Amino acid sequence: MTIAPLLKIEDLRTYFYSRSKQAFIRSVDGVTVDVARGETLGVVGESGSGKSITALSVMGLISGGPGVISGKVGFKTDTVQKNLLHDLASYVTLTKKDGRIMNASKDLVGWEKNVERTMKGVRGKEIAMIFQNPKSSLNPFIPVGKQITEAIQLHTAIKSDQEAKDRALYWLDRVKIDSPRLRFDNYPYGLSGGMCQRAMIAMALASEPSLLIADEPTTGLDATIQSKIVDLLAELKSEFGITTMLISHDISIISRLSDSVAVMYGGTIVEYGPARDILAQEFKDKHPYAEALLASIPTTENIKEKGYLQAITGDVLDTINTPPGCRFYGRCHCVTDAIREKCAYKEPDLREIAPGHKVRCWLYFD
Amino acid sequence: MKLSAIRPIALVLSRELMLTALLLLGVSFVVFIILYLSPGDPFSVLLEGQSSAEARAGIREALGVPRSWYAQYLSWLTGMLQGNFGTSIRTGLPVLTEVLRVGLNTLILTIGSMLVTLLIAVPIALYSAVRGTNKISWPLTMFAYVISALPVFWFGYIVLYVFMHKFGIFPLAFGSSSGQKYAWLYALLPIFVLGVGNGTISEVIRSLRAEMGRVMAEDYIRTAKAKGAAVWKHSFKEGLLIPVTEIIAAKIPFILGGAVIVEQVFNWPGMGRMAWQAAQDRDYPVIMGIAILSAVFVRMGSLFQSVVYVAVNPRASKE
Amino acid sequence: MKSYTQISGEIGEFSDLPFWKKADLVDLAYVGYGLLIVTLVVASYILGSFNLLPRDPQDLDLELMMAPPGTAGHALGTDFMGRDMLSRLIVGIQAYFLPGLLAIGIALLFGTVLGVVTGYRGGKFDTAITYFTNLVDSFPRLVLILLVVAAFKPSIYYIMLVVGLTNVPVVASLIKGKILFLKQKNFIEADTALGLPTRTIILKHILWHNCRTLLIIQATLGMAEAILMETSLSYLGFGVQEPTPSWGNMVQAGANYFMQGKFWPSTAPALAILFTILGFHLLGDGLNNILEGKRGA
Repeated sequence: MTIAPLLKIEDLRTYFYSRSKQAFIRSVDGVTVDVARGETLGVVGESGSGKSITALSVMGLISGGPGVISGKVGFKTDTVQKNLLHDLASYVTLTKKDGRIMNASKDLVGWEKNVERTMKGVRGKEIAMIFQNPKSSLNPFIPVGKQITEAIQLHTAIKSDQEAKDRALYWLDRVKIDSPRLRFDNYPYGLSGGMCQRAMIAMALASEPSLLIADEPTTGLDATIQSKIVDLLAELKSEFGITTMLISHDISIISRLSDSVAVMYGGTIVEYGPARDILAQEFKDKHPYAEALLASIPTTENIKEKGYLQAITGDVLDTINTPPGCRFYGRCHCVTDAIREKCAYKEPDLREIAPGHKVRCWLYFD
Repeated sequence: MKLSAIRPIALVLSRELMLTALLLLGVSFVVFIILYLSPGDPFSVLLEGQSSAEARAGIREALGVPRSWYAQYLSWLTGMLQGNFGTSIRTGLPVLTEVLRVGLNTLILTIGSMLVTLLIAVPIALYSAVRGTNKISWPLTMFAYVISALPVFWFGYIVLYVFMHKFGIFPLAFGSSSGQKYAWLYALLPIFVLGVGNGTISEVIRSLRAEMGRVMAEDYIRTAKAKGAAVWKHSFKEGLLIPVTEIIAAKIPFILGGAVIVEQVFNWPGMGRMAWQAAQDRDYPVIMGIAILSAVFVRMGSLFQSVVYVAVNPRASKE
Repeated sequence: MKSYTQISGEIGEFSDLPFWKKADLVDLAYVGYGLLIVTLVVASYILGSFNLLPRDPQDLDLELMMAPPGTAGHALGTDFMGRDMLSRLIVGIQAYFLPGLLAIGIALLFGTVLGVVTGYRGGKFDTAITYFTNLVDSFPRLVLILLVVAAFKPSIYYIMLVVGLTNVPVVASLIKGKILFLKQKNFIEADTALGLPTRTIILKHILWHNCRTLLIIQATLGMAEAILMETSLSYLGFGVQEPTPSWGNMVQAGANYFMQGKFWPSTAPALAILFTILGFHLLGDGLNNILEGKRGA
């Protein structure tokens, strides 16, 4: 594996200052992960684990607020190579006291201009993104077809209206929207949620991006529609082999589509490796959180084995006062007396325990 | 425009026109009730203008036997529907022609002032919606607060004074300053003064800014950013066009009210000045005509708003 | 549990730290300034009604006409007839204070009743209210007031009656919105399920707990409008008549001298109007931002 990864996220940190709590919420706290060309990386974790914020940080869509982003996001294709977080730090002034950040002020104008500059030619053209709640993600004032042709005319060689329309119709057909010609002139309010998500996917693919970020693509849809959208994504994956970063809290979707999986907890990646290892019940060298996640899937084996559905006890991590030790320590059932001290006071690093498989847990370290 | 786009507009137009008719009926009724309750007998004065002989006979009858209030209302209403608003007590001229003559001047003043207000408010609102409160937008907001509290009559004097001393033009009646060099400028003064001083700017800024801010936080704007499209193209309709038309419709009554004062200060021969004169002379027919015509102006504004809303918003026709 | 949209909502909610801190201070400053103005107005009103004035506001001093502020014995100078400006400004508050309270009272009382009825019952009442609101909005207020003035007589109480009545729909729609919101959140349903009498629900739970701040804010904004209307009408000569001072007729009376470059007699009352209306506006908006959690400024 000597080919450079398409997207290389290094030590990404995205903090939000909460005025009411007078402290930083560490939504993303040191994420390092690669997305190799042609593969689908599944990012899984419970709500609030920072998956979506990671994606938004990569896309430069965290801008208006007091978000402080640091780290490096390398993006490399045959034509483009840049750090998507280039120079962002210079627009933020941090006031520190006793080693703690007391205050962060941001040159909002400069920050946004810088983001625009960096992301020009990347957003939409190189990285396309689809979101949850497709109905509200499409512009309600513009016909669906026009929103797709806009992407085509912006990012591909096709500039004439008629050709763009033909191309958009082709994509609408590819995402299996029935009677595309009819739908082309429809406004989003006239389409169902599933239909809107198909249109979103068509819009994202129409600009022929190198990387597709699918942020909870099935959330907000009916269960039956969800599985159809997953079918469609699987089909498109095998057909086009587009590099994808798939974000979901739904492990069944992740297992269906991913080549490798990153499990996120409390703003960091606790486990990373090939999908077949991480998602296999019988594979035992797992992070306790990943194991608990798997055990909470309502499959027949899970229920047969235990007679009930296992829930992960305890609350979601407080991302303001992150504990000094392992983030999962408070909820972990695997702590042994031998490592208890380390678990409580020293944060484990993400260490490779088998080729291509990294875990952030003292259980597996000597 | 396609037929499918015109149909909802026609629908809304007819619905709004019906509402307008109903409202104007209500307006006429309110006007009637106020005059009916007033001491003295303004209606005997009113009916003097009725041209037909039968009407006059009716009045004579009325002088002897007091007629019921609804009979009076109906006869007044039918008179109005035939275009007879009575005659001015002071000038003896028919009210309708008088009011329409000055109504045009007020319409110019109102539309012009509305433009001035928007020219000031929209940039400030947009800037602070996009950038948030900062060193530039906060003083601008404060400035808007101050000019919204400014008594428009005093502001008018300041502008007049500056104009007199800077340009040497004296406040003559509208149009009569024509031989002078900056005469056309003088015509713009009341428009400027009313546009700045109508007291609504800070409110306009706040509501535009809130709308724009809300739209900028919409999911579809995030989508637009993510696909590398121009954000303003996607936010323009909901974030600016619709709120601006709503503001225009909502603020016309305020500007018409302000026009009464500004026309007074600048001798602008419009409805407001005529209303002031009529109120002094207790010239009821005139002031009633003005109340009804200004209600027509207000309804025109809201008609305009509804049409724009339906034309722009594809969902509106389904609602 | 935070879903994706909630998180992105938070991003919008928290903003750049210094500006948020500043914005909060801004709101506090607004309210502080507003309260200062309210205190001044109330104090001046009380002084005026007990005739505790630096000088007799009707006392002519033909030797000392249009004295600038700071003249000995006349802290704010004198007007074109040599009357003490400060005293006249203080007495001028009498012109709008009680009438303004009347306007506010009418607007709040009828607006609340109407709002509760429509919010609670909806249906036909709602249609009627919408019509009423549209009807009131169809009249420019000043024109309506001129009509009333022409029909009856130029009295400030008639004027304030109109101001109050035309504000009824505004208050009603706010109360209605609040009730619909509470209904949507099932608060009212829960109250009914608890077996509370309707009177308790409406008076205590809806009006007192949920509409209190809203009504206070409307009252401050209503006062600003009352002042504006009183001064405008007095300026036009239909409100308070000379020699009784009102800020509006003081501006008007001083206007003749304005063009001669003698600004003070009309500028002093104009500034009084400006600072007072500004105070009530800022108080209302500041309270709105702080108590109702809406960002406006």
